[in-house]
Amino acid sequence: MVDIDHQAELVKAGAHISGRWDKLWFYARRYPLGAIGAVIMVVFVFSAVFADLIAPHDPLQTKASASLLAPNSDFVMGADMMGRDMFSRIIHGSRISLTVGVASILLGGIIGVIVGLMSGYLMGWFDLLMQRIIDIMQALPLLVLALVMAASLGPSLENTVIAISIPLVPNVARVVRSSTLSLREMPFVEAARAAGMSEIRVAVRHVLPNILAPLIVLFTAQLGAAILIEASLSFLGLGVPEPHPSWGRMLSESAAEYVRVAPWLVIFPGLAISLAVFGTNLFGDALRDILDPRQRN
Amino acid sequence: MSTYLVKRFLLMLLTLIGISIIIFVLLRLMPGNIADIMFDSAGFVDPAEKAQIEKELGLDQPIPVQYFDWIKGLLVWDLGFSYVSEMPAIDELGPRIPITAKLAALALGFSILFGLPLGVISAVKQDTALDYIMRIVSLSGLSLPSFWLALLILMFFVANFGSIPIYMDPPENLWDELVLYSIPAAAVGFRSSALIMRLTRSSMLEVMRQDYIRTARSKGASENSINYRHALKNAVLPVTTIIGIEAAFLIGGLIITETVFNIPGVAHFLVEAILMRDYPIVQSLVMLIAIVTVVINFLVDLLYAVLDPRIKYAE
Amino acid sequence: MKRKIFTIASAASLVGLMFCAEAALAQKSGGVLKAYHRGTPPSGSIHEEATNSTLTPYMGVFNNLIMYRQDVARDSLETIIPDLAESWSWSDDLTKLTFKLRSGVKWHDGKAFSSKDVKCTWDLLQGKSKAKLRKNPRKAWYKNLDKVTTNGDGEATFHLKRPQPAFLALLASGYSPVYPCHVSPKKMRTNPVGTGPFKFVSLKQNEHVKFTKNPNYWKKDRPYLDGVEWTIIKSRATRVLAFIAGKFDMTFNVDVTVPLLKDVKSQAPHAVCELVTTNVSTNLIVNQFKPPFDNADVRKAMVLAIDRKAFIDILSEGQNLQGGAMMPPPSGVWGMPPDFLKTVAGYNPDIAGNRAAARKIMEGLGYGPDNRLKVKVSTRNIAVYRDPAVILIDHLKEIYMDAELDTVETSNWHAKVARKDYMVGLNLTGIGVDDPDANFYENYSCGSQRNYTGYCKPEMEELFAKQSMMTDQAARKKLVWEIDKKLQEDAARPMISHGKAAQCWQPHVKGFVTHVNSLYNNWRMEDVWMDK
Repeated sequence: MVDIDHQAELVKAGAHISGRWDKLWFYARRYPLGAIGAVIMVVFVFSAVFADLIAPHDPLQTKASASLLAPNSDFVMGADMMGRDMFSRIIHGSRISLTVGVASILLGGIIGVIVGLMSGYLMGWFDLLMQRIIDIMQALPLLVLALVMAASLGPSLENTVIAISIPLVPNVARVVRSSTLSLREMPFVEAARAAGMSEIRVAVRHVLPNILAPLIVLFTAQLGAAILIEASLSFLGLGVPEPHPSWGRMLSESAAEYVRVAPWLVIFPGLAISLAVFGTNLFGDALRDILDPRQRN
Repeated sequence: MSTYLVKRFLLMLLTLIGISIIIFVLLRLMPGNIADIMFDSAGFVDPAEKAQIEKELGLDQPIPVQYFDWIKGLLVWDLGFSYVSEMPAIDELGPRIPITAKLAALALGFSILFGLPLGVISAVKQDTALDYIMRIVSLSGLSLPSFWLALLILMFFVANFGSIPIYMDPPENLWDELVLYSIPAAAVGFRSSALIMRLTRSSMLEVMRQDYIRTARSKGASENSINYRHALKNAVLPVTTIIGIEAAFLIGGLIITETVFNIPGVAHFLVEAILMRDYPIVQSLVMLIAIVTVVINFLVDLLYAVLDPRIKYAE
Repeated sequence: MKRKIFTIASAASLVGLMFCAEAALAQKSGGVLKAYHRGTPPSGSIHEEATNSTLTPYMGVFNNLIMYRQDVARDSLETIIPDLAESWSWSDDLTKLTFKLRSGVKWHDGKAFSSKDVKCTWDLLQGKSKAKLRKNPRKAWYKNLDKVTTNGDGEATFHLKRPQPAFLALLASGYSPVYPCHVSPKKMRTNPVGTGPFKFVSLKQNEHVKFTKNPNYWKKDRPYLDGVEWTIIKSRATRVLAFIAGKFDMTFNVDVTVPLLKDVKSQAPHAVCELVTTNVSTNLIVNQFKPPFDNADVRKAMVLAIDRKAFIDILSEGQNLQGGAMMPPPSGVWGMPPDFLKTVAGYNPDIAGNRAAARKIMEGLGYGPDNRLKVKVSTRNIAVYRDPAVILIDHLKEIYMDAELDTVETSNWHAKVARKDYMVGLNLTGIGVDDPDANFYENYSCGSQRNYTGYCKPEMEELFAKQSMMTDQAARKKLVWEIDKKLQEDAARPMISHGKAAQCWQPHVKGFVTHVNSLYNNWRMEDVWMDK
């Protein structure tokens, strides 16, 4: 139902839409910023998936002679204090960022969808309770909640994911709940219920598919936020621990010690974080315009 | 309206109680406590002496007992003692709150000053090159990690001026204070200004498409007067919300900015207190942040009611 | 009869002696010295802490009975001078040490100092008094102390269980101030009261710790400074930049690392910087009670795999030193000399050969390229610990060991170590006094709280006691080398390197001497002045 708008536009544009690639090209021209974002994201995902093939060095290999080496032809982004190749660490860092980002979106998203669906569907005391819990979680800034959670769970990759995903739940739950509330009164849902479908099946088969579009928009927007929070937590020493090459961690402590002696230790990881989040945000904006026409500008 | 107010107020209380429980439990789940931290500086841990310290601080009590002791204290404005300095928590927090408040106010002022007008211009010039540039700048504001921005600013200052704009001594006069805080405030306000700009832009665009604007336009009102008088007036409403929420959420950005610029505010202190497992400080601070957030949300709602008479609070 | 080893009649003649070198310079009084601090001191009570975060700023609040000369860089038994004690003497059997105390000395709160305070302090340290310390990190120093007795207000005697000539070295450390009887341990943590040249003013977490001149200090016309103020800045990059920018007169206690020193020298060429051995060693704590390191062969293989030079090159651009438990010469008094060191297993510079031998050991145990031993290297989640741990993991790869890094939060580290919940840990050890008694009893002796690995061997205890009782310091040194060699070969706490870092100050700061074999003895600050 969301795509109709664009199909009409495609026809109006008189384009000979024959295949997927043409369609993609159409969207890219219509949303140039989104296309740039998509390209950045593809590069980002590509380097995460093929990190082992792209990285010229082992990101954990220390080398005395390369300690704090400035960028050169062998170490294109220089080396850190331990003589580890920055470029390889940045490439492998994309894997950490993407893993933490996607995993926390998925975890937070799944919990949020379940809570939101149940809330909007069951209503009553469950809904009331969930609404209060969401109020509570929203009364604290995202970073503060993530900070306290990360500290109480202890630093590890898994715990960082949990610490980031939980504060993301309320937004998802809210969106799902309000959509569910309006959808459950729709004739086709009532019909399904009248036909004897169980409540859970109704929710999963009829309600969920109809809220997929706003959810995808929300998830993309949150991906950038999740990556930023991971970097911030790691910067404060509460996120992903060594030896995982996390971008935030690279920027903190040891890198910050050598701000003047080796500025490349500060510039490249920061650039990597910014670019990844920037790409995600650009892409997310375009996706919102495409999938959620009500919000289109 | 008054029943709404009462209901809203009670919900606020409920939220705060919930937060107090959650923060209390989360803190006690943290690995290690203050006794461990204290022994760290002695280079060993002695189980008997550690138990003694825990007893002294009441950490050996069951968690519900500790919780109610804390709440009892809160009700009579007794926040307990900092485990680290052994000073009353209120004395530790008191002087730090104004510093963060000033910084946040400055950052908020900065973000409104830039975000609002740029958002309006961006909306009016929709889909022009100017609009694209501003959208890219605002998106980059949301993408740059604030700690990186802060580090870059420090690096820039050292490279060009040979000095660093960090906090060393309390500023002596208002001007010094302004100078001292303006750089970190700009570093943290950049993100908020980007957010405000984006929201202003989209609200403006939405309002500009609405019927009464079309009517005004058909009546022959000039474009400028339409844009600035009618559209802006109505777009201000959702923007108010985001400004309100941002005010409270600035604390998140300040946590890192204060750390990098060595500013002795509460946000920096929160991180330190968490690392030191200084429960009374962390608890008080998180409650303070929650109260500020909740109250601002409440005020924003009220403001909504005043600004937009269409909204009725009859329920 | 009492045998007098060292007596000096009055402080005045001593002060004259100390400053004859600088006689040409007229010291100027006045000015507040501004320095930076790396983090909030955990408390103001020196006896309860084992960190220079507390010792460095607070040492000037107190006096000891005796102390190391502040103007001589290398601390040894010969550089000990009177402080609150005017003189001291040993009994013939070297078990009674009597101090004649200075009269007319007042605590900062106006109460008079007497022998009771001396007794109180060491009763407190031995856990004999009613007031209790929360923490007592140097309990092991006083293992041999039986009791302290007083004779009137002006004399105190330390009764030792057996002769221990180096007991003086312990008392002279900055870690051994005299506390007032009438102030509780709790108050000493927050508002310490001493007899020293500076009074404590205020401590604000993450902001500053301030001290002001004690106008009634018993040493006439000391201190020169009106006060000392420490600004707390946690980021090393930031604080070193602030020093370069001229915002501070002095850095924190040897805070400038080797890579940063280059930057300071090029950016602030006028600054005075001294690179010294810190007496902080990077070492391994090996859990000998649990597999796989309960097997002596595996321990040996690990020790052989370590390329100390690589560590030193990376961590300090080649500046750090190799050595055993005791700080290596020339700065250290007791460390094994280079030729002797080469004879210790694992210190052979032929790394390839060592590693081949290590692989042979591992192969003998059934490990190989396809059957690698999985180990865990635990360390604190702080760069100075983590960085060497990462290098260690890299080296272990060479001998079929796949190590995983286990970073532990500060709040959990000592508890984890105490539980022996680790295989191998990367650890840093700071030694307060460059004397075997302090080091061996604190770190390698049975039952000491800071002997993390629980290393405990009766034959070693005997050797510790034997060297401790020796009066002939040259003979003692030979024995200490042998003990040190045994400790290394036992892998009690395999040493990786001894650290070096720099102390820097602006040229207008005068009268400060960096000590080359301890960070903990030269912060009285009473002789420091500013030529401004």
